[in-house]
Amino acid sequence: MSSSELCPRDRVRRALGRTRSATRLVFRRRDSQVAFVTVTAIYLLLYLWAIGHLSAGLGGFDLLVVSDPLSKLLRPELGPFSFTPVARLALGPVTYLFSLNSVLGLVLAGLVGVNGALTYLVWRQPRACGIGRSSTGLLASIPALLSGTACCGPVVLLVVGVQASGVLLTGFQLLLPVAVTVLLGSLVLVGRQVTVPE
Amino acid sequence: MPTSRRAFLAAAGLTAVAGCLGNSASKTPSGPLSLPTAAERLPLPASPERLRDAARSGGPSKDGIPSIDDPEFVASDRAGFLADGDPVFGVVRDGVAKAYPQKILAQHEIVNDELAGAPVSVTYCPLTGTVQGFERGNTTFGVSGRLINSNLVMYDRHTETWWPQILATSIPGPWNGDPEIRSLREFRLIWTTWTQWTDQHPDTRVLSTDTGHAKNYGRDPYGSYNPRGGYYANDNLLFGALNESDRFAPKRVVMGLRTPDGAAAFPKDTLRQAGQLDGTVGGTPVLAVYDDRYDTGFAYLNPDGQSFDRDGTQFVDATGTSHDPDALPLTSVHTFDAMWFAWAGYYPETDVFQ
Repeated sequence: MSSSELCPRDRVRRALGRTRSATRLVFRRRDSQVAFVTVTAIYLLLYLWAIGHLSAGLGGFDLLVVSDPLSKLLRPELGPFSFTPVARLALGPVTYLFSLNSVLGLVLAGLVGVNGALTYLVWRQPRACGIGRSSTGLLASIPALLSGTACCGPVVLLVVGVQASGVLLTGFQLLLPVAVTVLLGSLVLVGRQVTVPE
Repeated sequence: MPTSRRAFLAAAGLTAVAGCLGNSASKTPSGPLSLPTAAERLPLPASPERLRDAARSGGPSKDGIPSIDDPEFVASDRAGFLADGDPVFGVVRDGVAKAYPQKILAQHEIVNDELAGAPVSVTYCPLTGTVQGFERGNTTFGVSGRLINSNLVMYDRHTETWWPQILATSIPGPWNGDPEIRSLREFRLIWTTWTQWTDQHPDTRVLSTDTGHAKNYGRDPYGSYNPRGGYYANDNLLFGALNESDRFAPKRVVMGLRTPDGAAAFPKDTLRQAGQLDGTVGGTPVLAVYDDRYDTGFAYLNPDGQSFDRDGTQFVDATGTSHDPDALPLTSVHTFDAMWFAWAGYYPETDVFQ
C-alpha cells in the first residue's frame, strides 16, 4: 500500500515505526556508532561550554557539592531552562559545573548524535541503507547548537551588538524546547524514509 | 558522553552520602522590619511609579542570581585566586579591612555581611559598574532579576520592596505596591586592585570562593577587568539606558555623588590627571581629590571654597596641615564609580566637572 493511500494516523504510525528502525540501524553499524558517539560528545561539550558550565577556572583540584543539592537541582538560575549548579569539579585549568542542564544537554546531544549518525549514513551509503537523500539531521542540529547559548543569550547579543528586547529574551528562552522539537521532527523526517531489510 | 554520565552519577551519589559543603540558601528574615534609612531622601529621576514601569526582566528569575548570605573570609595569603590587577571592593571598619573580589561579586551581586557587628549589604552591578554598600538592619537583600536603566534592582526579604541599587531608594514593585519611599544608608566601598588594597592593608580579610554555591569564579560571563575586555570595554549596552547621553563614551568610568539637592559626576581619569577638581552639586561647591594609594577619588562639600595643595599623596590646607585624601577637614559626600551611561541615565540633569 502506498503512503498516499494511508489515513494520517497510519502514516504517522508508519513514520514512527521506521524512525525506530532507523535509530536501531544507527546502533547496529560500527561506523554509525562511532559517528553517534563522536557527534554526541562534541555537542555535549559545546553545549556545556556555551552555557558556561565547562570553562577555564581558577585552577587546582577540588570537588564541591552544595548543601542539600537534591532540593536545589530544580531551582531555576538564569532562565526557564537554566538550572542551578549543585556541584563544582575543578580539574586543573578546567572547571565543570554539574546541574540539571548537564542532563538536558545529554538528551540534546543524544538527539543531535542520532541525527548526525543518520546524516552520516545518508552520506556514506544511502542506497544500501535504504535511506533517502533528504536528511535534515544536520540542519536540525543548528537550533540545538544555538540553544546552547539560550542561558546566556543576552551575552551572545552583546557580542553581535544587539540590545536585548523582551521579544529576543523570550526567543532565546524558547530555543531549547524548539531545538528538542525540531530534532525529534528531523528524526521522524529521516526515519520515515528508511526501509530496513528484515 | 561517558565522562559526563560518570560525573552525573558521581555527583548524584555524593549528594546522597557526602557531608555537604556550604550553607547559603536564601533566608527569609523574621520579625518586623528594622531598616536604618537616610534622614533625607535621595533624588529620583522620575516618580516611583514611572520607575517601576521602566523595570524589565534581565533574564534570571528572583534570586536566580543568588546573594551570598553566609560569607566566609580568608587571609590575604590564602587568596591565590586573585591576580595583582584584579579589582576588589575594599572597606575598613573599626580597624578591620575586608576585600570583596569583583570576580565573586559578578556572579552574586549581593553579599549580606556584617562589618564590626553591623549588618550590611555589599552590592555590585556588573552591567553598570557600580559597587555600593548599604546598612541592612535585620533584613537581607536579594536580586530581583529585574533591571532599571540596566541597573540591579534589589529587594528586601522582609517587605519584598524594590530598591534600585544606584538610586538606593525604595520604589513600588509587583511584590509590594505601596512601600514607604525612603533611601538607604550608604557606606563607601573602594574600587581598587588587589595589589593596591593589600599594599595598604596587608592584614585584610578577603571574601572566600567557598560561598556555598557551585560557581566558577574564573569565568566572568560579561568580560574581563584584568585586562579590560568584553562588555566592560566595548560601547555596546545590553539593556539600554533610561536617558541617553553622548557627552562621554558609555562605559567611561565616572565617580558620582548625589545629595537631596542633586547629582554630580566627574570622570575618574580626569581626576587622576588633575589631582583635584572643583565643581558643584545642587548649587553647592564640591571638591574632589585623587587618592593614588587606591586609584580612586573622594568628594567633599566645600561651601567656603577652601583650597588644598597636593603634596605627594597628601593634601595640605591653608594652615600647612597635611591630610590623607580620604580625611580632608570637610564634609564628605558619598561617592562611587559608575559607567557614564548608567549615571546619565538615572541623573540626566547631573552636574559634571572635569
